[in-house]
Amino acid sequence: MSSIGTADTQTSSTGERWRTLASVLNPAAMVRRRFRAWWMARLTRTDTTLLTQRNVYILPTGAGWMLALTLLVLLVASINFQLNLGYLLTFLLAGSAVAGMHVCHATLRGLSLHLKTPAPHFAGDSAALEVQLSSERTTPRMAIALAVQGSGQWAWTDVPAQGTAVVQVAFAPARRGLHEVPVLTAETRFPLGTFRVWALWRPAAQVLVYPAPEPHAPTLPPGESAGGDAPTTQSAGSGEFDGVRAYRRGDPQKLVVWKKAAQAMATGTDALVSRDTQQSQRSELWLEPGRTGLTDPEARIARLCAWVLQADRLGLRYGLRLAGTVVPQGSGAAQRLRCLEALALC
Amino acid sequence: MNMRGTLSHLPREARDTLFLLGVIGCVLLPLVPHLPFWASALASLLLLWRAGLALRSRPLPPRWLLFALLVLAVAATLGQFRTILGREAGVTLIAMLLALKTLEARARRDALVIFFLGFFTMLSNFFFSQSMLTAVAMLVALMGLLTALVNAHMPVGRPPLTVALRSAARMALLGTPVMVALFVFFPRMAPLWGLPGDQLSGRSGLSGSMRVGSMAQMALDDTVAFRVRFDGPDSALPPQSAMYFRGPVLSDFDGREWQALPIRDTPNTPALLEVQGPGIGYETTLEPHQKPWLLLLDASPEGPKASGLQAYMARDLEWLSARPVGDVLRYRATSYPQFRHGPLAETRTLRFLSALPANSNPRTKALAAQMRADPALTAGGTQALVDAALKRLRTGGYEYTLEPGVYGEQTADEFWFDRKAGFCEHIASSFVILMRAANVPARVVTGYQGGERNPVDGYWTVRQSDAHAWAEVWIEGRGWVRVDPTGAVAPGRIGQLTRLRAPRGAFGSAVDSVISPGLAQQLRAVWEAANNRWNQWVLNYTQTRQLDMLKALGFDAPDWQDLVNLLAGLVAAAALGGALWSAWERLQHDPWLRLLALARKRLARAGLVLPAHLPPRAMADAVRAHSGAAGEPLAQWLLELEALRYAAHDDNPAPRLKQLRRRFATLALPTPSA
Repeated sequence: MSSIGTADTQTSSTGERWRTLASVLNPAAMVRRRFRAWWMARLTRTDTTLLTQRNVYILPTGAGWMLALTLLVLLVASINFQLNLGYLLTFLLAGSAVAGMHVCHATLRGLSLHLKTPAPHFAGDSAALEVQLSSERTTPRMAIALAVQGSGQWAWTDVPAQGTAVVQVAFAPARRGLHEVPVLTAETRFPLGTFRVWALWRPAAQVLVYPAPEPHAPTLPPGESAGGDAPTTQSAGSGEFDGVRAYRRGDPQKLVVWKKAAQAMATGTDALVSRDTQQSQRSELWLEPGRTGLTDPEARIARLCAWVLQADRLGLRYGLRLAGTVVPQGSGAAQRLRCLEALALC
Repeated sequence: MNMRGTLSHLPREARDTLFLLGVIGCVLLPLVPHLPFWASALASLLLLWRAGLALRSRPLPPRWLLFALLVLAVAATLGQFRTILGREAGVTLIAMLLALKTLEARARRDALVIFFLGFFTMLSNFFFSQSMLTAVAMLVALMGLLTALVNAHMPVGRPPLTVALRSAARMALLGTPVMVALFVFFPRMAPLWGLPGDQLSGRSGLSGSMRVGSMAQMALDDTVAFRVRFDGPDSALPPQSAMYFRGPVLSDFDGREWQALPIRDTPNTPALLEVQGPGIGYETTLEPHQKPWLLLLDASPEGPKASGLQAYMARDLEWLSARPVGDVLRYRATSYPQFRHGPLAETRTLRFLSALPANSNPRTKALAAQMRADPALTAGGTQALVDAALKRLRTGGYEYTLEPGVYGEQTADEFWFDRKAGFCEHIASSFVILMRAANVPARVVTGYQGGERNPVDGYWTVRQSDAHAWAEVWIEGRGWVRVDPTGAVAPGRIGQLTRLRAPRGAFGSAVDSVISPGLAQQLRAVWEAANNRWNQWVLNYTQTRQLDMLKALGFDAPDWQDLVNLLAGLVAAAALGGALWSAWERLQHDPWLRLLALARKRLARAGLVLPAHLPPRAMADAVRAHSGAAGEPLAQWLLELEALRYAAHDDNPAPRLKQLRRRFATLALPTPSA
């Protein structure tokens, strides 16, 4: 999957490179970029921000300019036809537009935004940042939209009087790793659409993105002896059994843990589990890039991720050996998180 | 399900569309009497069609169909008015565009176009009427449009329309001071370019021609035509009944319409005018009327004097300016109430002024022949004929009314024999036709009669409602003699200080029959007073009034730059007010939160930086961890602060908060524990 993705970027990147080159050379774009960088640097990172006069911006929209043109035409008509009621209409509209400008600005001014600590997720999953908007005002604030700056995917909400509202802002980084939460924009055009009022906010939180697990990954590699030299040969003989392992072709039916199989069916995976007589005692399951049988580093990590999930689902004890990081043997949710984190950050 | 239930269960989009269509209907409805029939019908059909589509959630019609309809509407407008640039044609087109655009509301930009077209349509209503009722109707329509606009910017859920309405009303209310300031101080100026010529309204005033009987109803327009300040004391003035301000003289009658003689047809001889007695000096402030005539008291041989004014006298004593009066004009003049004008002996031109079209008003001609046949009248000469006609008007059951209805082709016949009712133009025209039929040279003079003296400043105000038409008859040996036949019918029309009020129409009569006469009279008085105020303060707020107001504010020689300066000053004051209010608003934040923020700030200064979202209890823990036992009082204080907010209390928390604030000032700041 990742290889397909890479190919895609490869084909589109020729045009993109030219565009990038053009934008680098364009002086206006350069100035804009410089300005944006300077502006971003002014914003301190914080998870809770109060929007005030100092960080809420306002500019007229296209509709605003259209209204201004309309007012001008109305005024000229009033002058030319000497209509005093025309003057009144024009000036009342102008007054309402001015009041609307203040209402628009007040919709964001005094609003406080709080980013809930974002939960880690897998790359490629649809994920969202949860932002809580709270207002002390005694009147509701209408039609506030939030989005990751530049994404255009707005999430709309109204904030009740002296209450809070929670919005989910779509944010799905494509790559694994620890990502800083991007700059968020809160925007409103309420009530007349003639002004755009917006605020920029750099939350301090970071989002951990696990690698996307390989779909339809092969079964887990065999465990290795406690000594750690070589994989032990499978002996599925009779005797005491203490653990379970993934079903392997050729396992006798009586070794299958049917109870677990039913659970697995219910959750949608059809992984069968067999009883393991000696392995848990004598061998350890180590997940390593070298055992994936792949060469592309990202593909290896995707497979390791799938294996971690598989091993966790089976309730096995396992460990992870990566270049520079070793997660010792363990099991359960904590082990899973440790391994996923190691995979995300390696 | 009843109607209300159906409406409240409509999907949001359908509900919003129906509401907007209703508002557009309100904007277009007052235009219906002024639009061609096909335009009203097409507009209502389009709106109904759109409503049907919205109710059944059907797709909008294809673009080509709308384009075809647009072409059709433009073609029909062209066919009707021969232009698309005139005022009436423009209004028709705007109404058509508005109705058509509702069928094309695809994107938000289309919706905005509807709103802006709606504002233009509202303005076009004012071409036809600027009455209080129109103003109220348009205010309602404006609130509707603003509500729809606000509603369009509330994308979340299905908020009730009342929420948007409240928002719109609040904005309009906040915008009102801006409106008042701009209305009062925005410099009034002359039209920026020439006006399209089409005349729309039947208002009182001068127009340079007179089509008798074409207006069923005469609306008294209370706007000021001009103001006069006389030099001498009031006692030296002629009585109000003798104040005739001369405007266009109409000598040419085609059977239906009276017109002034074109300048080139007027023989190029000077007006024959001899004045006697003392003159009256005065200063006139003429409101712009876009026409060349200058109003002067009869008769002024020297004419108006003002810098830059080029004026000349036409042969019939009328004074004209070389250019149309497009701006407030102030001039001085001297008039002599006693004067003699016109040739003393009969001339060829005079014969032309006793001519009538061949088949015009046969019954009036018969009446004239009958009068001429009367030996008593023949002996008395022209004066006897005039007196006989006036006597007929006085005693023949003739009535003065502002609602005479539309007259037919033979207006004088109808007036003299059938209807026996009309206002000054019917009476003057019929009188002149009778005189001409009797072979007496006669003509119609239009202008203003009377006026109203303001006891406070001594100015005489002459309004459009004082516009008048009277007659002039040529009598051998005396020249042109003024005869006001209206005075014979309605003595009250002339020579009384209170101007004639519009008589009651059908509605007024109906009201009278229901409510007791006393109450009705009071109600009418209140209504008239309100109307008068409206005229005075809103419709009649002109450049003159504006400059007068500046004078009252203490400006010596006010001009438009002072107005601009005043406006700029107001804007600056508003900005200052806004800054102060913003500061005050900051103080209005929750005092408890402010105290907590103060504590956090002090702690940060003392080296213990705590995140803003930490509640007091967690802050107390942090203080204990930071400075141990030394921080205990501060931690206790924080816990009390928490209790103040969250524990149950009966009493008012304000004094306890004050006490906590005072204690905080005495607390020792934490130091790191060893």
